[in-house]
Amino acid sequence: MNTSSNHDPVDVLIIGAGASGAAIAWNLTETRMRILCLEQGDWMTPSKYPTNSQNWEAQQFGAYHIDPNVRGLETDYPINNQDSPIDVLNFNGVGGSTIVYAAHFPRLHPSDFKVKTLDGVADDWPISYDDLDPYFLQNDRIMGVSGLAGDPMYPPKDLPLPPLPIGMVGEVVAKGFDRLGWHWWPSDAAILSQPYEGRDKCLNLNPCSSGCAQGAKSSTDITYWPQAIRSGVELRTRCRVREVTVNEHGMADGVIYYDADGHECFQKAEVVIMACNGVGTPRILLNSKSPQFPDGLANRSGLVGKNLMFHPVGVVRGIFEERLDTHKGPQGSCILSKEFYETDPDRDFVRGYNMQVARGAAGPLATAFQGFRTGDIPWGPGHHEKFHQRFDHTVNVLALCEDLPEECNRVTLDPDLVDSDGIPAPKITYRLSENSRKMLAHGLARGEEVMRAAGAKEIQKVDLLRSAGWHLLGTARMGNDPTRSVVNSWGRSHDVKNLFIVDGSIFVTGGGVNPTSTIQALALYIGDKIKENLANLFDD
Amino acid sequence: MDNQEKLPPEAFDDVPRRHLSALLDTIVPASEDGTMLSAQEMDFPSYLLSQAADFLADLKRILVHFDDDFPDLPLAERVALVQTFAESDAQMFNALVFRVYDCYYQDDRVRTLIGARPGPPFPGGHVIIPGDLSSLETVKTRGKGYRR
Repeated sequence: MNTSSNHDPVDVLIIGAGASGAAIAWNLTETRMRILCLEQGDWMTPSKYPTNSQNWEAQQFGAYHIDPNVRGLETDYPINNQDSPIDVLNFNGVGGSTIVYAAHFPRLHPSDFKVKTLDGVADDWPISYDDLDPYFLQNDRIMGVSGLAGDPMYPPKDLPLPPLPIGMVGEVVAKGFDRLGWHWWPSDAAILSQPYEGRDKCLNLNPCSSGCAQGAKSSTDITYWPQAIRSGVELRTRCRVREVTVNEHGMADGVIYYDADGHECFQKAEVVIMACNGVGTPRILLNSKSPQFPDGLANRSGLVGKNLMFHPVGVVRGIFEERLDTHKGPQGSCILSKEFYETDPDRDFVRGYNMQVARGAAGPLATAFQGFRTGDIPWGPGHHEKFHQRFDHTVNVLALCEDLPEECNRVTLDPDLVDSDGIPAPKITYRLSENSRKMLAHGLARGEEVMRAAGAKEIQKVDLLRSAGWHLLGTARMGNDPTRSVVNSWGRSHDVKNLFIVDGSIFVTGGGVNPTSTIQALALYIGDKIKENLANLFDD
Repeated sequence: MDNQEKLPPEAFDDVPRRHLSALLDTIVPASEDGTMLSAQEMDFPSYLLSQAADFLADLKRILVHFDDDFPDLPLAERVALVQTFAESDAQMFNALVFRVYDCYYQDDRVRTLIGARPGPPFPGGHVIIPGDLSSLETVKTRGKGYRR
């Protein structure tokens, strides 16, 4: 196939227009460099999001499914999850997975950056919470984050908007936490509780995970990207990168990608920034083989793709006698508890988890159909009685557990499976560690305890949620030692001095919270480091 | 991203309506107290043609499993026959139940009866109570809970 190269060279080429790609594109605009972002998906059209339609729920089972293997859009790539008890979830388009995330927006904790020092496991990060602190705040302001200051589980922090309403769900479960004497707090959310920067506030539509028609949920297509584009960044959609190419000096010199018509194109660039998250980034790097990098680009450590971390999730469902409006309000952002977040030597596991109270994320179709699949709600006679006991009466508490890095958990290239352009698909090899199993069991038991304390009349449990692979971390970890990490403390590849990684793959450890806030803070931090070092960016 | 094919009404002409109606009523019958509607009261043909056209061929294959007298049987006997079918082809039955529920629970009459707002969530949205945050004062008194 002929490779066309009819685009001018750019100074900075960013691969991926999601959470991190948008943040660093915006951050670098003040340099006046020529910046290009290539995105394999499309711009989204909020007027077409499911909540505009009568059949909004069914669309969540199809074209707006959170699993790319189910969604199967032309803009998606398949993922082989057969060797993993957790399926990878993502979205491909401008905004990336922020289009379909629940926008639960906690920061990693200070201890998350020092797990080796504090708990003797894994490795410390080469940077600290304090290094990222100003970038958390900057990111919160640009994204538009709601929350309540004063949480004793964090160092003092300001949030630009007051918290979202916790509703009846939060109120009832909070009483359970209170009765047990456990910590709880309203969730930080990248969802507007008030009008902000030209966007209107949340309407409590509920299904945040199929796009926000109101625009109250802070996806990067409506936060960072409009600002970045106004400042001169070019965003080219329907461009699927196959590989990063290198010159004779072992420096990245551009990428080969397929355009919307399947034409193979070459884009020359002085700097390449990977922003495809913990599965997409190692996929491209491993596919970027050359005589200088026979095992994949930036992979002299052999760690590209390794140390994949998810956040294993166990679910406790409490069924209450009273109606709790569980189908109203942002589905994933209500209240949480950090009671079991930090290591306690009296437990049989290290590190910890957060307990996230979700409003249900279940409209009537999801309630009825999931009840059918689990055998909880029958079809035929008896359907209505059981449905009425469940719909609007069911609250979920998720134990979202920290997953420690292990090299056996990894992303590789599938030898057979390819996407629509013929690029090898990622294959996930993952197993739960003993530590994670014990943590999950602890979380499920505590979840049941809090539901009972809150007054639930019936409890159901999901020991390990299969559709929980939202958080894709650790597959190109940062560190100071080139033999034990892929990028340095500011995201630059140890092996290729003009290649940077800014997404979740550079996490050294995963913490026990949703990572998007930290991913974006990292991208902003790296952007500033690039600017500080611009004069000698490629020096040792 | 909604690329569902739509079919003309005549695409439904060879579907045995009485069988379909009985099947729908078997999967979601009216409630005993009469407050909840039966699925046979939904406009399933219109739903299928406009929103689930790719299921039409499967539906025809499903209906073949039920004899001529199926529509006239009492509910309990129909349930037994449908259960037999469900056990013989679980995947097809799953798809059928999903379509019946999808049609049923997007009907505004049903949505009103179950306490959900009629119509799509946007732009009307929902109102929820702020919730009581007063006990957070006690949470704060626990002091710093993070490690550095």
